[in-house]
Amino acid sequence: MARFSRQKELIGTLVIYFLVALGAAGPVRGEQKCLICHGKTDHHKIEATGRRVSLYIDTSVIAASVHAGKKCTDCHADIVDIPHKTVAKVNCRRCHYSGNPVGAPQGEMYDQYEHSVHGLEVGRGNRKAPVCQDCHGSHDVLRHDLPQSKFYRQSIPRTCGTCHLDIYATYRESVHGSAVELGNTDSPVCTSCHGEHNIERPDLLDSRVSPIHVTETCSGCHGPMGVVAKYGIKTDRIATFEESFHGVAQLMENMMVANCASCHGYHDIRSQVDPKSSINPANIPGTCGKEGCHPEASARFTSGRIHIDPSSEESGFLYYISRGFLVLTVSVLAGLFIFIILDLFRRAKAARGQK
Amino acid sequence: MTDSSNPAESKRESLISELAEDIVQDAATIAEPDEDRLEQVDEMTAEARRRLSFEVSVLLNEAVTKLSPGRAYEERKETPQRTFQRFGVNFRLQHALMFVSVIILIITGMPLKFPELAISKFIIIDLLGGLQNSTLIHRVGAVGLIIVGVWHLFYITFSRDGRRDFFLMMPRPKDIKNFFQTLLYFFGRRPSPPKFGRFSFIEKFDYWAVYWGMVIMIGSGLIMWFKEWFPKYLFDIGREAHSDEGLLATLAIVIWHFYNVHFNPDVFPMSWVWWHGKLTEDEMKHHHPLEYAEIMESQSARIVEEKLKVADTEEATE
Repeated sequence: MARFSRQKELIGTLVIYFLVALGAAGPVRGEQKCLICHGKTDHHKIEATGRRVSLYIDTSVIAASVHAGKKCTDCHADIVDIPHKTVAKVNCRRCHYSGNPVGAPQGEMYDQYEHSVHGLEVGRGNRKAPVCQDCHGSHDVLRHDLPQSKFYRQSIPRTCGTCHLDIYATYRESVHGSAVELGNTDSPVCTSCHGEHNIERPDLLDSRVSPIHVTETCSGCHGPMGVVAKYGIKTDRIATFEESFHGVAQLMENMMVANCASCHGYHDIRSQVDPKSSINPANIPGTCGKEGCHPEASARFTSGRIHIDPSSEESGFLYYISRGFLVLTVSVLAGLFIFIILDLFRRAKAARGQK
Repeated sequence: MTDSSNPAESKRESLISELAEDIVQDAATIAEPDEDRLEQVDEMTAEARRRLSFEVSVLLNEAVTKLSPGRAYEERKETPQRTFQRFGVNFRLQHALMFVSVIILIITGMPLKFPELAISKFIIIDLLGGLQNSTLIHRVGAVGLIIVGVWHLFYITFSRDGRRDFFLMMPRPKDIKNFFQTLLYFFGRRPSPPKFGRFSFIEKFDYWAVYWGMVIMIGSGLIMWFKEWFPKYLFDIGREAHSDEGLLATLAIVIWHFYNVHFNPDVFPMSWVWWHGKLTEDEMKHHHPLEYAEIMESQSARIVEEKLKVADTEEATE
């Protein structure tokens, strides 16, 4: 009796195991349905232009991505029949909306993206403008801290460069780009200056790279607490700029004056020892003499240090002029003030004496 | 008691009755109306009334005279205060152009020294409509100041008054002495301040401070205006000097010059010398006693000379 029941128990357990296995294999079965066609390495279509497009899907790529375990139709929700003729572009917002029940990450990115230059272009119907998957990848979305990710810090320039190829070429040769290529993690990549989901046209005032905000953006690294101190680069450059006439004019909301990028360039910023640099001593007259700035600029006009701080002893003669005026102003005004006070006291005394 | 033949007592009684009679007589004269005394009281009352009405009418008269502008003007005309022309039209016009220029320069220049202040942004952006306008207005003021500078150089070279005043403006050892004498006066070690001539050491300091300021401000300003002609390091020095001297000059004007010509108890709320250029005789005696004495001497000498001349001509005619 007991033995029979043990056998029964065993069979029951096995049945349950089988059912569980069957249940767990459900999605696999669904995927396998898709893979009947898309699992074949030579599955392809011929576009109207005659281009051969492979439709083979490597499931290991999805398994390694952040979306491992999702079904094909979780994203490709428009596909209900097999075989299907077309497939719509995936809408990531199906899951990535705030308060979603599946725990897909969601912040302000969507709202920011909608107002960014890319989002606005998409909204305007520009088919070339990037949507989520153009930057984040489609089947191969990875966490940004993985070196294989399209959003791993060192890979960002290449990701942006798929569309902005000429800028990428310029940037790679710049002091920032070459440092990134060499594996420096402090050097800025595209998103360090332009932002990520909130990239805006540089001629919009809100943009991080607009003339009025570019100083602020550069000051993140080149400011008083900036990371550049680590590399022996001076951190007073922002302060000296703000004291200069250009800086003062910028505070007065004048858009015509030079900001950091006007002289140093932006994608092509180079060290001043680089002969190609816009701030190489040989090139400075040309840089200052740009049309709309100082066309009369000569080598004489530009002879002298640019970022100069009168309150630092390194500035030489200028420092002594500045100190001299400080001493003169304080002593003269103190003297005059004391003279006035003494005069008033004497008058008061005389007035009392007369009474 | 009935037997009161005591001689001492009878004497006492007679004395008392005598006193009593005296008192009764005196009282009678007071009680009865005395014609003479009544007259006296009437006279006194009348006198008081007359005096009171006189005083009131005098007071009223004075009040009416003082409050009536026409009368006061006539009175002043009757007793004109002697005035001395301290500054001529030429000099006053120089001063006027200078202060108009300097006010323009301070309003458009000082905000750039303190650009982070809200008031600076208000003046440049909201009031003047941006940096391009404010720098243009600053250059207009600068032209005004340069004109004053050149004008003044011509004035002290070619005008007789200008040459005389420039010569008198030269610092002398007496000025240092006067400075220490003034300090002694301030500390009560001297009964009176030192006596000044046409220009006191204070006025000389003011003049040479402006002279120095003009040289620095116009020089550095021109370097910045025509910066393309100059090397960058000269521009930096010019900018530093312009900014620092500008602040020094502004503070000196607001604190020192405004005390002397506005807030000083003698002249508050403002001395009008910049407008009419005149000093009264009292002011001359008080502030420039040596110059006053000189003028008086030369005038009396002239009078004597004229009289001598008259006498000479009279002699000659005779």
